[in-house]
Amino acid sequence: MDKIRTVIIDDETPAREIIRHYLKELDNIEVIAECADGFSGLKTISSMKPDLVFLDIQMPRLTGIELLEVLTEKPEIIFITAYDQFAIRAFELNAVDYLLKPFPKRRFLEAVGKATEKILSGTGRKEPVSQLLAKKPESAAPVNRIVVRKGNAINLIPVDQIRYVEAQDDYVMIHHLNGKAMKQQTMKFYEDNLPGTDFVRIHRSFIVRVHEINRIEPYGKDNHIAILKSGDRLPVSRAGYQQLKKELKF
Amino acid sequence: MQHPILANRTRLIIWGLAWLFLGIGQALLYYFAYGKFVNISIADALLSLLIFSVLALSIWYPFNYFTLGKENPLSLILNLLAIGVVSVVLWILISKGILLLLLPDRNIHQEYWDVTLLYRIGTGLFIYMLVILSYFLFVSLSNLSEKKAREAKLESLVKETELKMLRSQINPHFLFNSLNSISSLTISDPDKARDMVIKLSEFMRYALSKKDEQPVTLRSELDNLRLYFDIEKVRFGDRLTTDENIDENCLDTKMPVMLLQPLYENAIKHGVYESTQRVTIVTEAKRTDGHIEIKITNNFESVPSSRKGTGTGLLNVSRRLELYYGKNASIKTTRENDVYSVSLIIPSEV
Repeated sequence: MDKIRTVIIDDETPAREIIRHYLKELDNIEVIAECADGFSGLKTISSMKPDLVFLDIQMPRLTGIELLEVLTEKPEIIFITAYDQFAIRAFELNAVDYLLKPFPKRRFLEAVGKATEKILSGTGRKEPVSQLLAKKPESAAPVNRIVVRKGNAINLIPVDQIRYVEAQDDYVMIHHLNGKAMKQQTMKFYEDNLPGTDFVRIHRSFIVRVHEINRIEPYGKDNHIAILKSGDRLPVSRAGYQQLKKELKF
Repeated sequence: MQHPILANRTRLIIWGLAWLFLGIGQALLYYFAYGKFVNISIADALLSLLIFSVLALSIWYPFNYFTLGKENPLSLILNLLAIGVVSVVLWILISKGILLLLLPDRNIHQEYWDVTLLYRIGTGLFIYMLVILSYFLFVSLSNLSEKKAREAKLESLVKETELKMLRSQINPHFLFNSLNSISSLTISDPDKARDMVIKLSEFMRYALSKKDEQPVTLRSELDNLRLYFDIEKVRFGDRLTTDENIDENCLDTKMPVMLLQPLYENAIKHGVYESTQRVTIVTEAKRTDGHIEIKITNNFESVPSSRKGTGTGLLNVSRRLELYYGKNASIKTTRENDVYSVSLIIPSEV
């Protein structure tokens, strides 16, 4: 039987050490790499294609959540974090298991056991993570950057460079100052996580930065159209028009 | 409630002067009413008003009794009227007795009495009203100042509670990650684990022990800060270095406990958490006339963070400054070339 190829991603050395130490006792697991930040973690997963990943949330460059968002082929994930309500929700929905630091050995082995079973039986999770990550707890601050992947390149789009977001089937197209980028995510995510003071959902398929709007014109019987500074013309639904009215106080 | 006049010397003097003034008025009244006996009129008026003033002082007790009970206004008025009638009658009877001593001649006495009696009744009721009014005034004044005192007490209580609430809570990330490091070190380096447990305990004890807002010195704040950094350095290794540049003459300055902690937590959160490079946190303190300036600087990697900070830490510190020092302290932040710095200016003496 092949060993389960495992990667540990955590920015704190002692945190990686204890996982490595516990795993040493398990014959069927092989640690093939360790990473200290989200960026190198993503590269390592993409190139080495491990079966199992221990993933910390709070890391430099790319958080564990963002890393998961842009992974195309997903290994089984065991999340490890210290304290993070948002993350705990995400684990419950997305990961084989999650461990809260500091974790007892018994709990650790239980999580690895679950993962091993899943990997060996080949019943990995297939549903897209993006759907499940959309939920945001009330208290969480708005997102400040969006991580997108173009081929092998990873880009961080600062939220203040986003002009508007457009729905395209299972994807969203993010139109920003330097072009556009596609990401597998829901409009709901952007509606909930972009700063509500700057963005308005003007249509089922469009969320726009209020300051990008140049003018609004009537269109058809009782619809409107928003004309952006860039010249883009976006449809405004009736509900969206009410939203704009409230936001712009006209 | 205490007697409003007897309990206060100044009021007693003013009270006496007022009666003297009333007595002079009374004497003039008697003189004009009867037209003779200047000396008798003066003696009569002063003596009878002296008696009334003693009577008026004792009226306070029934007055206080009837106004304290939350009776309806009608029965209060009736009670006060009854007291008034009794007092005035009593006063007039006593005055008559005194006049007998002053004017032994029965005929002149009777004539003088008949002429002045109406004036006596009139001024008696009038003075009684003045007395009652002044008692009402004293009661409402004392209620007002009591209310003010209560409000001031409440306000300081609220302020104290807010200060306690603003006392930085131990960051759960810090606590659980540190515990995880310790858990790991128990296997790889038990001595270091023990060392870290002790440091964490000392830090926690400092943070938790100061129950009230007793000010602490910058020296003890910095001692505690070093513990915090020692713990964080175990977690972050080479990614965190610290430096200090503190003038000796700042060390004894008093400040609220854990005032600086949120600023260091920010430096760790926005500096070290988000960076793969080494982050150096520098603390400087220098004294300028009457104030000390504490400056905390850290470098950071200039990529947008995953989620925006909420600014809670900074708000927290500036609100504490405001509550503790009033307008005598200030906080300022700057961000330049991937270096973030925050400066506090606080009075060196409070």
